[in-house]
Amino acid sequence: MLDRLLSRRLLFLSGKGGVGKSVVGAALALCAQRRGRRTCLVEIEAPLPAARLLGGQPGTSPIHPAEVRPGLFTINLEPTAVMEEYVRRTLHVELFVRKILESPIYQRFYAAAPGLPELMLLGKIMDLTTERHAFDLVIVDAPSTGHGLSFLKVPAAASTAIPIGPVGNAARRIVAQLQDAARTGLAVVAIPEEMAVVEGLEFLEQARDEVGISAEAVILNQCHEPVFDTREEAQVLDLLAAERGGRLARGVTLRGALVAARRQMRRRKLTRFYETRLRKATSLPLVRLPRLFVEQFGEAELRRLAQRLEAA
Amino acid sequence: MSPRREPAAALLEALRERKVLVVGGAGGVGKTTTAAALALQSALLGRRALVCTIDPSRRLATSLGLTRLSDRPRALDLKKVAPDAAGEMWAMTLDTKTTFDALVVRYAKDAEARERIFANRFYQGFSAALYGSHEYLATEKLLELTQDERFDLVILDTPPTRHALDFLDAPDRLIRFLDSSTLRFFLRPYFAAGRITVRIATRTGALAMKLVDSMLGMQFLQDLSEFFLALESMYDGFRDRAAKVQAMLKEPSSGFVLVTGPARATLDEARFFHDRLAEKQMPFVALIVNRLHPDPAHEPDPGGPLPRLDEELAAKLAAVHRDMQTLARAEAKGLVRLEVDTGQPPLLVPELEQDIHDLRGLREAGELILGARTLPRRRLRRTAGARA
Repeated sequence: MLDRLLSRRLLFLSGKGGVGKSVVGAALALCAQRRGRRTCLVEIEAPLPAARLLGGQPGTSPIHPAEVRPGLFTINLEPTAVMEEYVRRTLHVELFVRKILESPIYQRFYAAAPGLPELMLLGKIMDLTTERHAFDLVIVDAPSTGHGLSFLKVPAAASTAIPIGPVGNAARRIVAQLQDAARTGLAVVAIPEEMAVVEGLEFLEQARDEVGISAEAVILNQCHEPVFDTREEAQVLDLLAAERGGRLARGVTLRGALVAARRQMRRRKLTRFYETRLRKATSLPLVRLPRLFVEQFGEAELRRLAQRLEAA
Repeated sequence: MSPRREPAAALLEALRERKVLVVGGAGGVGKTTTAAALALQSALLGRRALVCTIDPSRRLATSLGLTRLSDRPRALDLKKVAPDAAGEMWAMTLDTKTTFDALVVRYAKDAEARERIFANRFYQGFSAALYGSHEYLATEKLLELTQDERFDLVILDTPPTRHALDFLDAPDRLIRFLDSSTLRFFLRPYFAAGRITVRIATRTGALAMKLVDSMLGMQFLQDLSEFFLALESMYDGFRDRAAKVQAMLKEPSSGFVLVTGPARATLDEARFFHDRLAEKQMPFVALIVNRLHPDPAHEPDPGGPLPRLDEELAAKLAAVHRDMQTLARAEAKGLVRLEVDTGQPPLLVPELEQDIHDLRGLREAGELILGARTLPRRRLRRTAGARA
């Protein structure tokens, strides 16, 4: 499964906010790097870039990828900076660039043209996939705006609204690249909860019907693993019902442990329920990643997730 | 500092008395479910409550156990889940494109202006993405709904934005935008007949114009200019209503409910949102933290000797206890910081063991919120002391 997912030149990750998309992106990037693929993980205005989990020194440039491990690059794109870079490359003459960027006409235009930042960002992402940068794989943690796949729908809207000129042409090129299944793929990230699953399925539908991007996999994050077997589950419930007390260890009451166990069992059941539901709704490969119980998610946890992806 | 009020009591009072509640917070924290649960509680208190979410997806419908909701308020059947409800619960979702279209139909000067807007290529492709339009339209709709006689209370689930603040700033920003020279610039028919018809005064200005032209082409500029021209007749109305919403949100009959999850990033956002509310003098009602993991050590021990357990089961139980406690303690640390920094005791709502996808679950969730505890005082004093 992983081979297929990482074989594209460009992989978008999408999912409802709060499903751990950026962590999944970092874990995938780590897998790709271990396979010797020169990889770039792209985030967009991330307040807490996942790059920090990959160790090394995350770069500070909003337009140039920084190498955080050998062969593994990260970048946290900033729309305004990307736009400025575009102006710079169009104009060539630095003297004018500054004047233009400060000119009220440019600023008004930038403020009034919706979709322009998204288009510029996608243009930049497409540029990262070109030979010039020599990346084998670019993984994009697409912003979860809650408006479905709106980020990926912008180029199509722009190619209608901007009939001529280089930006309109660029929009049409981006649409073609998004729809090139040999080159570009999408993975949807969800967690075993109603809203995240419903929205994840909506993303798949929109990907097919509105964007024309090829969906490759569903990644179900934060799954509760099986801990107790059926006999043990029955024992836990019996002990709870009998209100049994006592201490298992220092600071660990039987009651507390039983209540925690019941919670675990119920969440585990939900995990199974949503996994089944996803499998029924889509024939795409589904990967489960475990819920990790740690105080703070760090590099070690990221490695654990990467191992699970490898094993899938 | 004003005397501390029990936060659950303040929320209950708001559900009884206020006219507008805005529910804000980061995405993925159970905001929509909370908004719907509060509307149901308000109905149980005898009020006619509407919950409105601005969301093209089926989120709210899902939590109400419905397959879909439209942008017309719909009364829900409470008989099964709350035969005792003296009030009513209504629900709707707001679709940006439909709302924008409706605004054009309603406020455009005449049929010709209306058709010009609808025919505009720019409007067709981008009206849904127009600068802050989700947030702005939410406030437009809010104004309309609060004037609707069918409802005593309107609960608005704010648009899922990267920054929860966008919603608060939308009316202000729109007024600024309409007042700015940006619009006047686009309103002048520079781009008529596909070419620039006036001389741009400065060389940089001319260069900027040339750049924009070479990037986007004159056709697009013309469409854009036409779009703003066509909307011109609607500006005064936009401005008036934006100012009205702004004033309404500051009234004591309105209120904000902040919802957050226990994760670090969402707590930071809640803190930030709270500060902005205070800065803008918006009436704050409650801070709700969803999906907390209860500390298993807080379970009272029924006593008695430890029953004989299989060794493997005992080890598994201890491990599950440890896992849950690790999460609970990490979360508690963040919450203490949140309360110390905001001065607001958050309502602590434990993670549900089941998912909510019907009115019954929604009722339980509402009861959990109104019955939620706050952090123990002792612990707060210690932390506040240590930080001072």
